[in-house]
Amino acid sequence: MSGGPPKGLPSTGPHSLLDMPHPLAGSSSEEAVGGDSTPSPDLLMARSFGDKDLILPNGGTPAGTSSPASSSSLLNRLQLDDDIDGETRDLFVTVDDPKKHVCTMETYITYRITTKSTRVEFDLPEYSVRRRYQDFDWLRNKLEESQPTHLIPPLPEKFVVKGVVDRFSEEFVETRRKALDKFLKRITDHPVLSFNEHFNVFLTAKDLNAYKKQGMALLTRVGESVKHVTGGYKLRSRPLEFAAVGDYLDTFALKLGTIDRIAQRIIKEEIEYLVELREYGPVYSTWSALEGELTEPLEGVSACIGNCSTALEELTDDMTEDFLPVLREYILYSDSMKSVLKKRDQVQAEYEAKLEAVALRKEDRPKVPADVERCQDRMECFNADLKADMERWQNNKRQDFRQLLMGMADKNIQYYEKCLMAWESIIPLLQEKQEAK
Amino acid sequence: MEQAPRDPERQLQPAPLEPLGHPDAGLQAAVSEEAEGARDEGSGEGTMTENNFWLKKIEINVSEAEKRTGRNAMNMQETYTAYLIETRSVEHTDGQSVLTDSLWRRYSEFELLRNYLLVYYPHIVVPPLPEKRAEFVWHKLSADNMDPDFVERRRIGLENFLLRVASHPILCRDKIFYLFLTQEGNWKETVNETGFQLKADSRLKALNATFRVKNPDKRFTELKHYSDELQSVISHLLRVRARVADRLYGVYKVHGNYGRVFSEWSAIEKEMGDGLQSAGHHMDVYASSIDDILEDEEHYADQLKEYLFYAEALRAVCRKHELMQYDLEMAAQDLASKKQQCEELATGTVRTFSLKGMTTKLFGQETPEQREARIKVLEEQISEGEQQLKSKNLEGREFVKNAWADIERFKEQKNHDLKEALISYAVMQISMCKKGIQVWTNAKECFSKM
Repeated sequence: MSGGPPKGLPSTGPHSLLDMPHPLAGSSSEEAVGGDSTPSPDLLMARSFGDKDLILPNGGTPAGTSSPASSSSLLNRLQLDDDIDGETRDLFVTVDDPKKHVCTMETYITYRITTKSTRVEFDLPEYSVRRRYQDFDWLRNKLEESQPTHLIPPLPEKFVVKGVVDRFSEEFVETRRKALDKFLKRITDHPVLSFNEHFNVFLTAKDLNAYKKQGMALLTRVGESVKHVTGGYKLRSRPLEFAAVGDYLDTFALKLGTIDRIAQRIIKEEIEYLVELREYGPVYSTWSALEGELTEPLEGVSACIGNCSTALEELTDDMTEDFLPVLREYILYSDSMKSVLKKRDQVQAEYEAKLEAVALRKEDRPKVPADVERCQDRMECFNADLKADMERWQNNKRQDFRQLLMGMADKNIQYYEKCLMAWESIIPLLQEKQEAK
Repeated sequence: MEQAPRDPERQLQPAPLEPLGHPDAGLQAAVSEEAEGARDEGSGEGTMTENNFWLKKIEINVSEAEKRTGRNAMNMQETYTAYLIETRSVEHTDGQSVLTDSLWRRYSEFELLRNYLLVYYPHIVVPPLPEKRAEFVWHKLSADNMDPDFVERRRIGLENFLLRVASHPILCRDKIFYLFLTQEGNWKETVNETGFQLKADSRLKALNATFRVKNPDKRFTELKHYSDELQSVISHLLRVRARVADRLYGVYKVHGNYGRVFSEWSAIEKEMGDGLQSAGHHMDVYASSIDDILEDEEHYADQLKEYLFYAEALRAVCRKHELMQYDLEMAAQDLASKKQQCEELATGTVRTFSLKGMTTKLFGQETPEQREARIKVLEEQISEGEQQLKSKNLEGREFVKNAWADIERFKEQKNHDLKEALISYAVMQISMCKKGIQVWTNAKECFSKM
């Protein structure tokens, strides 16, 4: 068993809230193998390979290591990410290991962010820091400010609107962790955003709060100027492609909303079905107590229904934890996209207005004033950036939904397979006594 | 959908080939002899076979149901359903069957037949009829008696009832049953002429006996207890099953919405469009598959219902035993008191209170002649009473023996049938799971092409 370079992790404070079966407590190893998350570097070193196959996340990249398993993961990576232009990956980011921190003023969760990179922008080849949700929120705002012409991926919702959900429950934390992981991976995949200074700091700084206080020092010129675009300009004509995207996004968001409602409804019906099943199975047990020859068959049926109930519960849990959040995330994503489109419209409108103002001046100046030129640059820049982002978004969307829906189908298949096995196994039990008569 | 879950060509146990008795002349005699013969079954096969009306192997089908209108007893217009009963005799050489009888009956006539059988065969666990009104419905099923699905399931239930009676070693030989299958007109009058309604034990009498009987056979007490519990547990099971069916229906049907939304979504997509569209189609297939699945499950529910109603038939046999036992105990008690009275009169000691004693004290002693007369009357009564007690005792023992034999037969039948029912239920579930796997696998493939 080969290992990678040993890592000295910074101390992570109070004990992990998650009950970890893995001997190396402190890593979300179990979920990593089973679900959407990536295995953390230490995990790959500590485990013996060949125990379980590494299952890779939706369209993301795993942390690379020098362990044998990583060659298969390398292969998988190449297959999954064929939409990325074949460039060699040189930046890997992972979110894992949620921990609860209890302080006098508040209780909150931090996540470990592990970064591995060969880029010159990073002083060290590897980093490991801890961040909480509000740090992610800060990062996103900074990105929006500093890269206004680009589409910034969405964050999972800040507040839990449904009210009944426990912010510190395992399921909620895990769902959030996956979403945050996705968020960072999307930025990592982005050829422009991944080089953003704020992103770099987020990944590497020991003390993020100190950095936050430094203020706006790193704003770029473009960002500044775009920030100052005031509203109120009327758009002449939107370029066709952007108009089409706008329409598309409207319908897309609607359809996603409908799917979300359907999925929720299905889960609700399934839970109610489960409630009835949980009463149904035991009645066979009660009956079996009255009988003689029928005791075992009836008991068998009761147990069978119990197994089906368990399988159903697993299905509804999976759908709630894996399916719905991803769906909702895409609704947020398309909302972000729309606001970026609006900004672009504004930039275009400003440009057009300035141009018109110049035309109206009716001077004999052959030269277009400098600021109008700058406006034009800005607009064309924006258009180009946005176009590229839209294409990337469309591709990712296709991959993501393909995987999401296949995952949904898979879960249902597994549910039915479990039930099938249960029922098939009692047929011999039911028949056997018959012949023995 | 047409045939009962069990073999519709269920044939009679081969009863001995017997010539038909003369229908009219032998009718009354045959009927009562039938009844007696049934009760005295233990006293010898010989007496039973003489007036058998039953013949070779037969097949019974309730093949059709038809809505009719007619006038009822109060001359009011009513709508009812009539069922066509076809009887075929089977030539055992080549298995060919020939239609021998075909007539129409309505549910109330079946009820009449069953009530008759209950009175004349109290020691037999008489097969139950399918339910009169739809119970344990889940929302999709109509509770309306005229609903075609209900009528269809009732048709199967009635056929099943007839097959059960026909395959019962004792009931199959009943003349009234034979006539039910063969004589359309006048059958009701024939049954009523047997006067069976008068012979029926009153509910009140039975209830009274149940409370007051001192020494019933323990097996019957246990059996009654069992049938109570069975009835309770199967009712519960059917109620919950109906709710489960309801919920399952909901789960499947909501998936149909995916079909529509995927279709709409696919319209705005380029590469993803086809995959979404075809996946949506599979979701529609999934949603509509539940109708057949639940219809099949209704057959299972019907099989359970039959045994739910059989519990009542079991209880009826137990009640009869309690009644007979109570009767016996009362007769013994009566005899004992008479004997005591007699003794007191003879010896002149008064130990027990009697009206005569009272009046004697009030109005004076009776003469020796009067006393003699009274003693004589009592002695006669005692002798009669002893005879009666002896025959009641015999009757009681016969009843217990015969009833228990039929109960054992019933137990075997029940265990066999319920096991079959459970197996067929498991098979249904397996089929449902396989369909589910198929549909979702298809959908998954469509998604993979997105």
